[in-house]
Amino acid sequence: MAREMPYIAAIGEAIHLEMARDESVLYFGQNIATTDDDPFLAAFGHDRVRVTPISETAEIGMAVGAALAGYRPVVELYMAEFMLVAMDQVVNEAPRFRYMSGGKVKVPLVLKAGYGFTAGWAGQHTGSIYSMFMGVPGLKVVLPATAADAKGLMATAIRDDNPVCFFHHYLLTLEHGEVPEGEYLVPFGEAAVRRTGKDVTIVAIGWMVDRALAAAERLAADGVDAEVIDPRTLAPLDTATILESVAKTGRLVLVDQATRHGSASAVIAAEVADQGFDSLRAPIKQVTALDATIPYSEPMERFVLPDEDKIVAAVHQVLGSAPVAA
Amino acid sequence: MSSDQQAHGLDKDRLSWILTQMVRIREFEERVKQTFEEHPGAIRGHTHLADGAEASIVGSLATLRSGDQVLATYRCHGYPLALGSDAEAMMAEIYGKKTGLCQGYGGSMHLVDTERGFLGTSGIVAQGIPHATGAAYAAQIRKQGQVVLCFFGDGASKQGAFAESLNIASLWKLPIVFVMENNNYNVVTRSEQEDANAAAGEPLAVKAKAFSMPGVTVDGGDPLEVYGVMHTAVERARSGEGPTLVESKVYRLSAHGNIIAPPGVPLHYPEHEAITVFGAPEEYEAALRGDPVPRFRARLIGDGTLSAEEANAIAAAAKAEMESAVRFAWESPYPEPEEAVNYVYA
Amino acid sequence: MSERDPAPIVPSSAALEGPAALALLRTMWRIRVFEERVGVLKRADEVYGLIHLSIGGEGVAAAVCTQLRDDDVVYSGHRAHGHAIAKGAPPDRILAELMGRSDGLCHGLGGSMHLVDVEHGLMGATGVVGGNIPLALGSALATRLRGGDAVAVSFFGDGAVQAGHFNESINLATLWGLGVVLVCENNGFAEFTPRSAHTNVERVCDVVAPYGLERETVDGNDVAAVWEAFGRFLEVARRGGGPLLLECLTHRLRGHYEGDPTLYREAISATEWQQRDPILRLARQGAAAGWFSAEDVARAEREARKEIEAAVEFARASPYPAAELPGELVYAGGSRP
Repeated sequence: MAREMPYIAAIGEAIHLEMARDESVLYFGQNIATTDDDPFLAAFGHDRVRVTPISETAEIGMAVGAALAGYRPVVELYMAEFMLVAMDQVVNEAPRFRYMSGGKVKVPLVLKAGYGFTAGWAGQHTGSIYSMFMGVPGLKVVLPATAADAKGLMATAIRDDNPVCFFHHYLLTLEHGEVPEGEYLVPFGEAAVRRTGKDVTIVAIGWMVDRALAAAERLAADGVDAEVIDPRTLAPLDTATILESVAKTGRLVLVDQATRHGSASAVIAAEVADQGFDSLRAPIKQVTALDATIPYSEPMERFVLPDEDKIVAAVHQVLGSAPVAA
Repeated sequence: MSSDQQAHGLDKDRLSWILTQMVRIREFEERVKQTFEEHPGAIRGHTHLADGAEASIVGSLATLRSGDQVLATYRCHGYPLALGSDAEAMMAEIYGKKTGLCQGYGGSMHLVDTERGFLGTSGIVAQGIPHATGAAYAAQIRKQGQVVLCFFGDGASKQGAFAESLNIASLWKLPIVFVMENNNYNVVTRSEQEDANAAAGEPLAVKAKAFSMPGVTVDGGDPLEVYGVMHTAVERARSGEGPTLVESKVYRLSAHGNIIAPPGVPLHYPEHEAITVFGAPEEYEAALRGDPVPRFRARLIGDGTLSAEEANAIAAAAKAEMESAVRFAWESPYPEPEEAVNYVYA
Repeated sequence: MSERDPAPIVPSSAALEGPAALALLRTMWRIRVFEERVGVLKRADEVYGLIHLSIGGEGVAAAVCTQLRDDDVVYSGHRAHGHAIAKGAPPDRILAELMGRSDGLCHGLGGSMHLVDVEHGLMGATGVVGGNIPLALGSALATRLRGGDAVAVSFFGDGAVQAGHFNESINLATLWGLGVVLVCENNGFAEFTPRSAHTNVERVCDVVAPYGLERETVDGNDVAAVWEAFGRFLEVARRGGGPLLLECLTHRLRGHYEGDPTLYREAISATEWQQRDPILRLARQGAAAGWFSAEDVARAEREARKEIEAAVEFARASPYPAAELPGELVYAGGSRP
């Protein structure tokens, strides 16, 4: 049974279900459980649900320690940028313990953080920095683009025995979607084909998935049939599905809200250039943010970000065609 | 037996155990150091020795009971030894061998032995303090009366991770004791050059006030003094009253670590920074005269707890054990190269 | 005794009165009117994004910043409008910035949490709690190297005190004796949680006590008290002393951000606010002491309203910036990667 619910609520539902299922799941962070009637606090008590001071290094480090000691913490961080305050714990501690111990320990934890809030939240609260975490061995990175995936990927993240960066897009917060009731798991490393097509492959991440689908509708009117793929998880990354699509279409456009050299699309492009070169009939095109801190003022903010127009233009570029005049 | 020993409730067996662990740690660390001369190239990278800190380490660990947990820094050899880890496996790990405690994956700075309660280390100053705090949070909600000991150096007390962790541990009354081994050096910097309290001539334990927890300074060269202070702190933690900051004053008898050099340059242990950087050989000589291991041995013989023969037997056993550990490590095979990609993910 | 007592501070002769008090009142009215106007504009979507208002905090901003010169530098956090206005940044350009217009202080690039006005010594605000505190140390270090008696001031809230970088900064500033005055506005809340959820130690002054730096706690809504205490601290810093920490106990009248439903605390009653409101308190105090007349007070409010309305018109009339970013804004020197 599925029902409509907003993206952010779907995430909360997953955490709640997992906490009910497994007593070792903890949930802590700043500004959560601030009143006694908070649903998590009411359901699971003060042992398992706690508010912390503004102390990201300690919050994430404590999650590592609690995980080493047999628990499964979920840390509410609100914004990916706040992980930067504690970068050592995220990159140099959590993912390395298992390996350095020769497999003796595991560090199951989830770092829940929002990103991409390009709605006037200005330079330090609007970044898309997920690719920083992609190449870190031992760390997993997931980016749901739909409410259902938000629930399913969070549940999988909590059950995963590794540290997982769970990045939820702020502009998707209130987006409604059909979300299955009860236990619902979405596996890591499986991309979703959001729209099948034969003329071009568009790989889009997070909030860009909807932009890509909108662009695909416009392209359809131009007689261009686009396939849109949502990787859903960046580490592990499902290159096989992308390569299969490119083998069919011969053309690839990547859409990513991050800056060019800081994007996941750059990594995917390199993989396709390496493993799918023979399929390509045109160079790979990336549509990313311009290389600037996200500006506050709206017209500038819009300007630096990818949008439908830019996606459509990129598709026409790889097709070697000009768009039909509107 | 002296009165403070009686007051601590330590019988001959326990006192003998304390001396034994101190001697074992010293022998182990000496062997590690000697490896750089005897088998150059066998140990790669950076090692950090605990010689000089044995009384602090063992005096602290003597207060624990089964189920308690310990986390420490990259200067980590002493704790697992005292907790009962296999010395051969430890040496093999430092040599990078397949038979190592962590199968060669971690090395000197990253020993782990969860079965004996040693949950791990960090190579990054202070970053293990939040880990220990998290383990203490787990211990609190598990409700089995476990306590966590968190070891770190004086250098770590300037890191934000220290402040954040102590604040939360105090607020949540976590069952943890924060043990700062203050050897007055952070690599080649003396504490008073980097710490406002040290610069003002104050003990670093004063920092505890900022976190509303007791702060105690103890002579880390006397295992029974350490035992007394730590016993109080551990019982306080175990009873749910919260953490303590214990400043244990030690003197590290080796340099911070072996030299840092690119491949091709032989690694070795230089002399202590007091001599090489600060031109204060008298400081080092005074520390040698106060070496806690022979001091404690002499004390136990002197007050009749042990005979000289018993003490010698302890020394001989330790020597034999650690020589065997070196042989084991030297003769053990390296891991297969392709094993490098194991254990990345659980 | 393990806690060092601060050295006795020579009391300043510059207690608040007369013209200085009226100037403070005017500044506070300008901030109050500005912030109330921004609240209205935000609800009408003319100002957007994440906005944090200083209503209730005008006293601290005015008492501190109006004693500073242009070459003294101020760093602030996400709640910076009051500090900016009091430091001399023109309200019309601040408002244009909040509306994302090209005449904004930062040409619309930064927004509410990232105001900069170098000309008036407002070196920056930051959206990451406590992130600006180490920067103030850097400014103080630069002054020491360069010579002169300029002072660096950093504003932050009680929530920042639990962040690691605050503690790191206290140690280093004390060790090096840097000429920085740390002004903590302790309103008892960090975002949506009370201080008791963050730490056992109620007073920020007690958190830094082990370092023995000069420190004092004052009633942040008693403008005269803040003025007097900061005046003393400023003198010490100008003479080469420091660091110093001034803890101002304040009250944040509105939510953490505009739109915050504040379910986590009880609303303050109107009468209680009358007692606490720094503007009303100063007006009462000044009237009783004969510093200014009722007409002076009324005029201050009128002029503030006139100035802020003009600022609104200015901001509304300012064009949006051209979408193209000038090349030199990403990297100094205009280079591109």
